[in-house]
Amino acid sequence: MKQVVVHPERCVGCMQCMLACATAHSRSLTLFAAVQETPQPKPRIHVGAGRFNEGFPNRCRHCDPAPCQMACLAGAIYRRDGAGTVMINPDRCINCASCAMACPYGVIRFHEDPLGPAGHAIAVKCDNCSARVAKGQIPACVEICKAGALTYEEMDAAMRRKTRDVSRSMSTDADQPAIPAGVALLKTIKQSEIALSGS
Amino acid sequence: MKHVIIGNGIAGVSAAEAIRLLEATADITIIGDETFPPYSRPMISHVLAGSQPHGKLPIRSEHFYADQKITPLLGRRAVGIDVAGRQVLLADDTRIGFDRLLIAAGADPRPLKAEGLDLKNIFYMRTQEHAKQQVAALDGARRAVVLGGGLVGFKAAYGLLRRGLAVTMLITSGYPLSMQVDETAGRMILDELVRHGLTVQVGVTVRAFEGNGSVRAAVTDAGTRLPCDMVIIGKGVLPCRTFIPKGQIEVDLGVVVDEHLQTTAPGIYAAGDVAEMVDIARGCRWVNALWPEAVGQGRVAGLNMAGREVAYPGSLSRNVMRVFDLDVLTVGNVTPREEAGYRIVQTGGAAQKYYRRLVLRDDLLVGAVMINRIEQGGVLRSLIENRIPIRLPPERLVAPGFNFGQLLY
Repeated sequence: MKQVVVHPERCVGCMQCMLACATAHSRSLTLFAAVQETPQPKPRIHVGAGRFNEGFPNRCRHCDPAPCQMACLAGAIYRRDGAGTVMINPDRCINCASCAMACPYGVIRFHEDPLGPAGHAIAVKCDNCSARVAKGQIPACVEICKAGALTYEEMDAAMRRKTRDVSRSMSTDADQPAIPAGVALLKTIKQSEIALSGS
Repeated sequence: MKHVIIGNGIAGVSAAEAIRLLEATADITIIGDETFPPYSRPMISHVLAGSQPHGKLPIRSEHFYADQKITPLLGRRAVGIDVAGRQVLLADDTRIGFDRLLIAAGADPRPLKAEGLDLKNIFYMRTQEHAKQQVAALDGARRAVVLGGGLVGFKAAYGLLRRGLAVTMLITSGYPLSMQVDETAGRMILDELVRHGLTVQVGVTVRAFEGNGSVRAAVTDAGTRLPCDMVIIGKGVLPCRTFIPKGQIEVDLGVVVDEHLQTTAPGIYAAGDVAEMVDIARGCRWVNALWPEAVGQGRVAGLNMAGREVAYPGSLSRNVMRVFDLDVLTVGNVTPREEAGYRIVQTGGAAQKYYRRLVLRDDLLVGAVMINRIEQGGVLRSLIENRIPIRLPPERLVAPGFNFGQLLY
């Protein structure tokens, strides 16, 4: 089963994934119509500024067991059979924010959502683009990412590749795991800026 | 293996599910005071406030006991435990034998001593039945008195304000939730409640209630009459421990348990509102009578009862609530009694409608209060709970832009 894998070291902070995610969770499913919608669709992936102002794409890990599911007062959070995706039932959610307290990654937001009940704020988070995947598409954030910071692959294969990269980097004559040259340059500039400003 | 669980609150229910996960055929009996299907106790305040219907309270199916092959003994309370004879005693002299016992009896409202408590429309706030009666009493009620400014009193007052009643809250500290938040946050919460019509009286207790059948007024110890059609007593809860033989099972404020949720009597466990264990943020034993604690403790107790040794890292106080336009999140020890040895970092305040306070001890975070923009609260909770040494400068940790990505270096 394929999953979204995040490679934060490659993120350039362009936030295109946020735009694509919001569009994928709108009523109209197109960017130009989505910006006219009320309530405005919002992203479920969040690019925050990291320690050196680099981008950090933060999305639900669909933990197992899921702390948000255990903390949910209303029994609104459940795991979708087969896919491992942790979902929030918008009609059961009471917007109590107990899941915000439980989530160790801070990926849940609270607002009125185009796909939820009208006029009520609810807890909203990544649903692994289950509606898109059901139509044979890949998650919107992965489709849009140009920097290779978000990939959609078999978890076992991704883990094996990562392990191999790490072991290879241990050899004396090996290079560090490859980051595209442009991304590396951008990161160096951002880090130098912070070092120079002295914060 | 014969498992007996005293209590059908969420700790007992979670324990039963954990046992069933590991032991498909074990005998499980649940003794429960309440006959209603397993429900969300914290949601009763939403029912009082009118934001959720009573029908949404159940969080397990009505066939829960049958589906999990549990023998339910509902509407009954345990009155004793024969530790040596491995039996639980019920009020009607029935004896239930066990191999493993879980005490998940929960807590009862802290009783109030006052005259006229038998008048109608004076309520405690603990069960779905209380919520149902409170909602029924709202019809025609205009003025209410709430006793206590802790979690229960606060939620009662908030619910009644949302229902449009004129509410007078009697509290002993200068601001509500003084056990949960620091003074700055407490004052912001108080101002928000007052702005929506709450009347607060500080340092006042009630001596008696007056009325003719139904309550008409509360009389304070100073002799003042507070006219009201409804009273909610929210002075906190006390663990249900009267039936526990103290000589054989160590009982402090709650039933003392080790990291496997086992009491001092082998094979007898305790979890949830009745249990007392090390509090991660305070470093000493504490009773944290909270829903997420009851879920986690119940689950780990159940796993241990079924033979899988799983440690529980300790309990942690935490709460999150919405107060009209304020979102409040608090976790850990936010008001250390002596500030020596602690570092406190704050940002924002009442004027900004945004506030953050972090309490650190050496390189560990031990407490956090957030008002508004609470989405990253769980990251802070996780840092406290897992005792992660903080390498990020505390000024960055308390800043509005803080996010998980900043912890990765």
